[in-house]
Amino acid sequence: MRTDPPESTLRIGVIGTGGISRAHAPGWRAVGAELHCFSLAGAQEFAEQFDATVHDSLESLLAAVEAVDICTPTDQHADLIHRALDAGLHVISEKPLTLTPEAAQDVLDHAERAGLLVLPAHVVRYFPQYAAAKRAIDAGAIGTPAVLRFERTGSFPRQAWFGDESRSGGIVMDQMIHDIDQAIWIAGPVASVYAQQSTAPGDDTVRTGHVVLTHTGGAISHCRGFWGPAGTAFRYTFDLAGDGGRLRYDSHGDSGIVFDAVAAARQESGDGFLPRVTTMDDPYASEIREFAAAIRDGAPTRVIAADGAYAVAISHAAIESLHTGRSIAC
Amino acid sequence: MLTPPDQPTAPAQPTAPSPSSAASAGSPRPVPSVDAAASAGPSRIAPLRVALMSCAHTHAAGYAQLLEAREDVDLVVADPDGFGDVRGARIVGSYDQAWDHWPEGPDAIVVTSANAHHRDLVLEAARRGVHVLCEKPLATTVVDAEQMVAACREAGVVLMTAFPVHFSPAAEALRSAVAEGSLGEVIGITGTNNGKLPSTRAWFTDVELSGGGALVDHTVHIAEILQDMFGAPATVFATANRILAADRAGEGAETAGLVTLTYPGGLVATIDCSWSQPADALTWGGLTIQAIGTGGQLQVDAFAQHVGGPGHWLPYGVNLDARLLEAFLDAVRAGEAVAPTGDVGLASVRVVAAAQESVRTGQPVALQA
Repeated sequence: MRTDPPESTLRIGVIGTGGISRAHAPGWRAVGAELHCFSLAGAQEFAEQFDATVHDSLESLLAAVEAVDICTPTDQHADLIHRALDAGLHVISEKPLTLTPEAAQDVLDHAERAGLLVLPAHVVRYFPQYAAAKRAIDAGAIGTPAVLRFERTGSFPRQAWFGDESRSGGIVMDQMIHDIDQAIWIAGPVASVYAQQSTAPGDDTVRTGHVVLTHTGGAISHCRGFWGPAGTAFRYTFDLAGDGGRLRYDSHGDSGIVFDAVAAARQESGDGFLPRVTTMDDPYASEIREFAAAIRDGAPTRVIAADGAYAVAISHAAIESLHTGRSIAC
Repeated sequence: MLTPPDQPTAPAQPTAPSPSSAASAGSPRPVPSVDAAASAGPSRIAPLRVALMSCAHTHAAGYAQLLEAREDVDLVVADPDGFGDVRGARIVGSYDQAWDHWPEGPDAIVVTSANAHHRDLVLEAARRGVHVLCEKPLATTVVDAEQMVAACREAGVVLMTAFPVHFSPAAEALRSAVAEGSLGEVIGITGTNNGKLPSTRAWFTDVELSGGGALVDHTVHIAEILQDMFGAPATVFATANRILAADRAGEGAETAGLVTLTYPGGLVATIDCSWSQPADALTWGGLTIQAIGTGGQLQVDAFAQHVGGPGHWLPYGVNLDARLLEAFLDAVRAGEAVAPTGDVGLASVRVVAAAQESVRTGQPVALQA
């Protein structure tokens, strides 16, 4: 572990400066972090946009910072986490933490040995709607959770690697892991998982997944993911029913800002990948703020490495169910 | 300034039977038809003799009220269990009294008994050559449902299953969009049919009478609509629990369930059949279906139409029960069943039975093609 005295300015190294790094960066700026970056592509542009120092090698980056923010394709997460831990650095990694449960366990073990933080960026825990539901449920608002439904909809990500299941884990591991993590956050560990996926004939970028979880506590959850055709609007919903009440949310419902069709046609269309979060506190910034506080003074975070590893394990079981057609005991 | 019209507009008469549909060929028991001789005046239709068999189901009261209000129906209501809360001009205390109420017997019966008693009533109707509208689920076992469908077919009587949502404009919009390819290739469906656990009839969670809990009560409406569009599923997986209303649920009756269906073409569909509408909610529950395809998404909510306000939920949508009864009475006059038929009732019972088996085994169940 690093022995440098804490500094007032966090030095953060962003690894991979593609799509999601651009969502993280404003959060780092907001906590006053000094940004460094290393990427196979796009580093210069990122550096100019967010006032970051570009490094031409991973070694150079690791030597300059006290924590890294890994924003690469998923198949590189595990290797980069180990490299950063070996360098004595705390780690924030985009979800999924790794592609396999075994790799996730290795990461947990390594972090434990090193005494360093590994924080998986399950940003949905920082969306205010989900955070509000979680707080209310913990306070008993719906009694004992019984049946939970989650939907997540977007167009296919622009970067082709998302479609390569060996790199992204596919729609279950990449998109649906958000809601799998939510189901676990609210209803606890999972006893078994059953999953089905349907891919459009002739266009494998359009696909939907259904993941059904039976929790050890008895609750049941349905997660429905969708990578839709071009132009599909980003949308997320949940419906959480317990023996003492019910909570529902639909992101299409209540932005509080409504353009009519004429005006809407003039609005710039969204990119379908990152949520347009202008009507609420930026959840990425909330996440980064919590992670920064954890790195600085050991403050607790609402998601820890073990949560990320567990979400990977359940998502991996869901993929096994997809391949076998069987329900998988967890 | 708006001026009222000089002549009040006659209200639409969606329940007016079409004289042209009055053929009764095929029925073993010719039913009263249009009085062909009354060509000089409005067509007069001899009332159909209809017996509502049992007041056990919560839908009985609504059907009785609608049938009672029709001039083309002569109604008798059998309340052998003595529930006493269904209004009707003629209530009798036994099924025999209902069968024997008219010298020539009823033309048709509407079966609203506890689910497990559907079979005996429907088989008796077939034996007597009487047409049947049977409350859903058609039966509590596949064997019973098969027997009922076969008996009615052999007897040449109409057998229809009471799926009112079939007549919802929302369901019609969905069927049309899928049939016309508006959504491209449909690859996924999520259906929800969540309601309150019925509080006025305890048998809904007595598996001896109901055949099961929420899986039995609330899977079939959406299963019927899916069957119409996509045929029978290839596999059925279900998981269920008894957390909701645990104190009221009888032994073995699940109160929440998720049923996932796959189809030969790759489509995947999940139905949430849970009794998850809180007891203090303003409305009984609802039914939604979301279809997603390569050409976009369609979400329908069959009971969305309402005027709302704090403490108020005022539904104003079309009366689906009235449309169902209208279709059934027309079918009785025509002597030929229309959708939703007994066959689709049987198909939905097969889905429920497979879901129950899946809950027992923990694994998906393949349906026989």
